[in-house]
Amino acid sequence: MKLSDIDVAVIGSGPAGMAAAIRAKEEGAEHVLILERQEQLGGLLHQCVHNGFGLFYFEQDLTGPEYGHRFAEKVKDLGIQVLLETMVTQISPDRQITAVNNREGILRLKPKSIVLAMGCRERSRGQLNVPGTRPAGIFTAGTAQRFVNVEGWIPGKKVVILGSGDIGMIMARRLTLEGAEVRAVAEILPYIGGLTRNEVQCLHDFHIPLLLEHTVTEIHGQQRLEAVTIAKVNKDKKPINGTEQMIECDTLLLSVGLIPENELSRMAGVETDPLTGGPVVDQWRETNVSGIFAGGNVVHVHDLVDDVSWEAEISGAWAARFARKEEMGKEKRIILKPGRNIRYIVPQTISAQHDVTLYARVKDMEENVTLKGGDIFAKSLRVVKPGEMLKIDLSHSQLRQLKDDAVELSIEGEKRRQNG
Amino acid sequence: MAQMETEVLIIGGGVLGAAVARELSRYKGDVILVEKEVDFGWGSTKTNMCIVCQGGDTLEFRSEYHRSKLVWDSMPLMEPLCQELDVPFKKVGELALIRNNEELAKFQKLKSRAEKIGIKTHEFIDQETLRRMEPHVTREGIGALYDPNIAIVDPVRLTIGLIENAGQNGVKVMRETEVVRISQDANQFKVETNRGSVKCRFIVNAAGTSVDKIARLVNSDDFVLYPIRGYVGILDKNLGGLIKHEIHMRPDAPGQTNILTPSVHGNLFFGTTMQPALRGDCSTTGRIAEIGLQNVRKIIPDLSEKEIIHSFAGFLMFRNWEVGWHECVVQASQKVPRFISICIGYPGVSAAPAAAREVTELLRQEGLKLETDERFSPFRKAPPVFNELPEEQQKELIAKDSRYGHVVCRCETVSEGEIVEAIRHGATTLDGIKFRTRAGMGRCQGGFCTPRVVKILARELGLSEEKITKKGRESRLLLYKSKDLLEAQI
Repeated sequence: MKLSDIDVAVIGSGPAGMAAAIRAKEEGAEHVLILERQEQLGGLLHQCVHNGFGLFYFEQDLTGPEYGHRFAEKVKDLGIQVLLETMVTQISPDRQITAVNNREGILRLKPKSIVLAMGCRERSRGQLNVPGTRPAGIFTAGTAQRFVNVEGWIPGKKVVILGSGDIGMIMARRLTLEGAEVRAVAEILPYIGGLTRNEVQCLHDFHIPLLLEHTVTEIHGQQRLEAVTIAKVNKDKKPINGTEQMIECDTLLLSVGLIPENELSRMAGVETDPLTGGPVVDQWRETNVSGIFAGGNVVHVHDLVDDVSWEAEISGAWAARFARKEEMGKEKRIILKPGRNIRYIVPQTISAQHDVTLYARVKDMEENVTLKGGDIFAKSLRVVKPGEMLKIDLSHSQLRQLKDDAVELSIEGEKRRQNG
Repeated sequence: MAQMETEVLIIGGGVLGAAVARELSRYKGDVILVEKEVDFGWGSTKTNMCIVCQGGDTLEFRSEYHRSKLVWDSMPLMEPLCQELDVPFKKVGELALIRNNEELAKFQKLKSRAEKIGIKTHEFIDQETLRRMEPHVTREGIGALYDPNIAIVDPVRLTIGLIENAGQNGVKVMRETEVVRISQDANQFKVETNRGSVKCRFIVNAAGTSVDKIARLVNSDDFVLYPIRGYVGILDKNLGGLIKHEIHMRPDAPGQTNILTPSVHGNLFFGTTMQPALRGDCSTTGRIAEIGLQNVRKIIPDLSEKEIIHSFAGFLMFRNWEVGWHECVVQASQKVPRFISICIGYPGVSAAPAAAREVTELLRQEGLKLETDERFSPFRKAPPVFNELPEEQQKELIAKDSRYGHVVCRCETVSEGEIVEAIRHGATTLDGIKFRTRAGMGRCQGGFCTPRVVKILARELGLSEEKITKKGRESRLLLYKSKDLLEAQI
């Protein structure tokens, strides 16, 4: 196996990594290499056996494995080199990669450019600090998804789900279909964490109780989980005395947020944005470290797989151009600043010379608002929710109107939604 | 086991029972150790903060305190012991922060008292030096008292090292073996367990939080112990370099401690509130976690709670006020011959080497013949830790067994080879793998590796994945096979 003269190395082969690698190849990079720690291409798509993938990208309703398969076939057809069961343990600022697997042992690679596509991980119980005992039967929704959909095991039959992220809601439906009883989905916020379509299709359609402004205040059971206490919370998200109810259950799933996986990025000296948890990138998805690009959920957590692949394609295309030392035309840098009710914006910097699509997430749910981009852009929106990402297309002619080298994105509310 | 006989029976496979077993394995004669859990060191040992000999102990050392003497006597023994057992030991030093002149006066008094009895390692450092040594620590305060001798260990690995070395030297160890009844006649005890009975001449009761319960089984109520619950939080390895020393701050409220320390594996631990609680109730509460965070922020003011990856509670057994907080139990029963109890409370790990010697001496006084076994070897080789090896050795390992090149736990870079080796060494559960290899101990807390570890456990143990538990007994992880529940509905 030839592991020298690599143009673009892509770390990870989920919907981001494969899209980036394919695009890099299509942009003319000769030697593209994917490093994947699992046994097969596809990352977490394998365990996402539900549909809803590719509605925009392929304009077809696919399952996760189907979506992944289409990319995997293309990876094969294009002759992209793949190293499976290969764990990258280090990336240095000068783009040297150290990896380990059970065939080549320890590998050192020096590609011309790198695309980070490691995706994200789930927040755990430890990070949430859920009080109580430490029995078996507490899993993140994604771990349970792997057990049910890949390994063929059902963790338990009386289930409570904490958090209303998409994987949690999808697992509520999945476990119901497997014959388990999902007794409640508790969400600490006054609105769900995931997509509205999942609330309808996974919870309402299956009569699964959704308890908004509720959280788990205690875990019971020494050996296996026996029950959880759930309480209503006030505006400061603190449990309200007297509202506690104990729900008997053998399984608790957590779907309380995803964290971009950037330990390797930090080793490489990549600057991360505390608001996204991912690298600070420009519109080419290049990080502060020259030649290191990033795309997909490693940059920020997307709602839809389609956007993950699209964003990663940008990183793949420009990683290929970087590899052949093409001028990127990065004159006139504009910084994007989150304003009122905006939690984050990606990319964090753009150039005035090109059209660009911005992704942004709000902090709070609001209705009847205007999304404003400084004085060059305004759009009325009926509702904005943290669980649903905003996508804003700006043309270079709009950007040329900018007098400053910064633009603030904000939500100007006419009627702020009252909590509770 | 239906019925067994031995000279000495040790009850409890925590760090103290293990240390006694290893000490006794120097001599001829049969020794059995029984542990009620499925693995070793799962009681107070695993909730220990890993610090060997805390400042509070050296500084407040008084020759009249039994526990202080054990801690002090253990200090020179710990490093060579860790070397013999091939387990981590790292000298980090301690900084006891001094916030005001009142505290300074108190520390001066303690320091001069310690010097009078020959402890001369402490040194006052000013705020500027402190800042140079620990730039992220609070700028409030006037300096610190520095003790370079404080070290950190891995209590569970130390315990397993002791157990394995004792095993190599002839001690029989039995897990999932819980003592339920003890009867006695003039010459021997008959100890009944859930797995049969053991006849023995001597008992070493090192049952941790159950030490007084075991003593009551032979009507030896020489001591009263109170369970005190402590809370420990673990911070992400990203913050591993934030501090280099163990840092200690005098508590604002009685019954609270406030410690932040590096661990031998590169995380930071912070430990806080101590409160009386129901024995065995290792649950954490929102309140204790909040106080924990508030306290550690007095040391590192801008610490984000997002960096906490895990927290847990554990128990220490304390003597009653009349006897004194600084006392411990290492004694032969006044009422029952040949029955020795050992319980240090805090810090049990630091005191273990000397306490084990003392127990051996007590056994001799009670009539046990100690005849040196020429075949005793103090050395035990730990299984390889892939992540900690230099690259050349990593390569050799993979060449020998390719499973060392297959990373299963990505947060801690733990390979399949290490997991298989841990199973060979006796791990049978998910937590067993976690404490022996660190798989599942990292920032994702097993989110990624749990299904993989379960699979390897099932394969190596020749069991169905359904049978794999988190921590033994009724803690099965997967209750049903796919479609089981649907078929049950039809």
